Amino acid sequence: MTTVYERRTAPAVAPTARRSPAGPVLALLWAGAAAVVALWWTDTGSVVGTAGWLTGAGRIAGLLCGYACAVLVGLMARVPLLERRIGSDRVARWHAMAGRYTVCLLVAHIVLILLGYAAQDRASVWHETLTVVLDYPDMLKATFGTLILFAVGITSARAARRRLSHEFWYYVHLLTYVAVFLAFFHQLTLGNELSGHTAATAAWYVLYLGVAALVLWFRVLVPLRLNLRHRLRVESVHKEAPGVYSVVVRGERLDELGARAGQFLRWRFLGEGMGWTSTPYSLSATPRQDLMRITVKALGDHSAAVALLRPGTRVWAEGPYGSLTQDRQTAQKSLLIAGGVGITPLRALFETLPGDVTLLYRARTAEDLALGGELEAIARWRGAKVLYALNGPDGRRPSLTAQSLRASFPDLAGHDVYICGPHGFARDLYEELRTAGVPDRRIHHESFEL
Amino acid sequence: MHALKKNRPLRRIVLASAATVSGMVLLLSLKPHSTPDVGLAVPAPSSSSSSDTSGGSGGSATTVSKTVTGDTIQTRWGPVQVKITIKSGKLTEVTAVQYPTDNPRDQEINSFALPRLRSEALQAQSADIDTVSGATYTSDGYRQSLQSALDSARG
Repeated sequence: MTTVYERRTAPAVAPTARRSPAGPVLALLWAGAAAVVALWWTDTGSVVGTAGWLTGAGRIAGLLCGYACAVLVGLMARVPLLERRIGSDRVARWHAMAGRYTVCLLVAHIVLILLGYAAQDRASVWHETLTVVLDYPDMLKATFGTLILFAVGITSARAARRRLSHEFWYYVHLLTYVAVFLAFFHQLTLGNELSGHTAATAAWYVLYLGVAALVLWFRVLVPLRLNLRHRLRVESVHKEAPGVYSVVVRGERLDELGARAGQFLRWRFLGEGMGWTSTPYSLSATPRQDLMRITVKALGDHSAAVALLRPGTRVWAEGPYGSLTQDRQTAQKSLLIAGGVGITPLRALFETLPGDVTLLYRARTAEDLALGGELEAIARWRGAKVLYALNGPDGRRPSLTAQSLRASFPDLAGHDVYICGPHGFARDLYEELRTAGVPDRRIHHESFEL
Repeated sequence: MHALKKNRPLRRIVLASAATVSGMVLLLSLKPHSTPDVGLAVPAPSSSSSSDTSGGSGGSATTVSKTVTGDTIQTRWGPVQVKITIKSGKLTEVTAVQYPTDNPRDQEINSFALPRLRSEALQAQSADIDTVSGATYTSDGYRQSLQSALDSARG
């Protein structure tokens, strides 16, 4: 089933991809870690005996762990540079990876320091542990902070997370702020490289207060301003396909949001018990001055409740976030591949992306195609092509292989390919595209799979 | 690495851990592992030709042992002063003669700081010892008093 319309509008000028700041940001973060290790290096005279080795390693682990905690919180501070230019998904993956590493450093720090101190005092580890926790200044606080961090780590492990509700995980995760705060003080009073070193202490304060300022600004004040300014309410809810609904949200001066095609916002519908969860949904059209629209598939409790939203319900939104935008474009031709409700951001891109654009829409049946009418209209208006990949009458899945893709797009490697859909779908497609010779830098995708 | 590439979390964890551990071991091994000789030898009495340590007879050298008290150092929390014993050119004992005891907090801190400072000094055989976390001022005072004691023992 293919629909081709004659081109009426000429494609815009050849795009040049905006460079992602991911490289410089990562370099900066690693440089910070190196600086922290350098702090230990300059402050340490000699490493003598078992106790010296253990304590030394424990101190390096502790310093790195303290630094990593600040980085972890900073990465999730919703800083626009990270969310929009590097991509919320990528930053979330960095956060998850750094989080696992931090928990390991934390365990290493505790074990090595206790063993080292015990060796130095010729005391039993158990006795040393009690002394350190109960007698050392700020250590009770730090112990509580550590327990919280372990709880956060355990609830975030893949195996545990699958069994826990999103809300439970989220609220345990929010306790990270408390944990980092509690653990901060022992770093200053007990940290061998910080305590009594004015410059190092000042740098540590700058790091932590800087991160706190980022959180306060971008997670609290910016959303507050956004919602006071735009005053969002549900305008209407439309059924697009079985289980797929569009929510139209009315607000003031929405053009000033700066939301671009392909981006998403985090939505909180204040009413009917839904205000507790904020969920990311992509805009399925570029916002107008007074209206914007998301399209949602009823998958979980939250998205199912979206179908029942009453007009007038107040909405709290944060964003726009996401980097699956025109900025990623490197070539004149683009292929957008949607799997199911993954059509939402691609529908917006299909309308606005410059150059030659083709949309390939994978769904089970024609009935499951959401926004079909609009897609046809956009295709006609801009002279683009929409291809549908539906199951056969016997339920057979269409083949989206390297071969079949290359047959439809002889110049496949010269395309930018935007993918949005379920993770398995995207991953299979990625393998096929790579086989077909499309380079990594031309495969654009956003995934919240950690 | 592309986000859609099949990643192997286990391999990554093993690699990251191995890299961290070897980095730490490398850093620690690059540091000196013995404390520098600070010339602690107490000059033996010139009349003796042997450095016999078992109590000899007559006027010949006996066990070379010396006790020196260091300067009193005023710290923010009170005075700190140490007394050292040097036997055969080795620092064998450090005792804190004075240390802050004005409040329970001081006592608590000293109860863990002083033994650690002592063992560090004995291990280092010098005043080149780390500040005990949580007892910065006491450590500073201890170090200075110890240094002055060592200086006068040497001189």
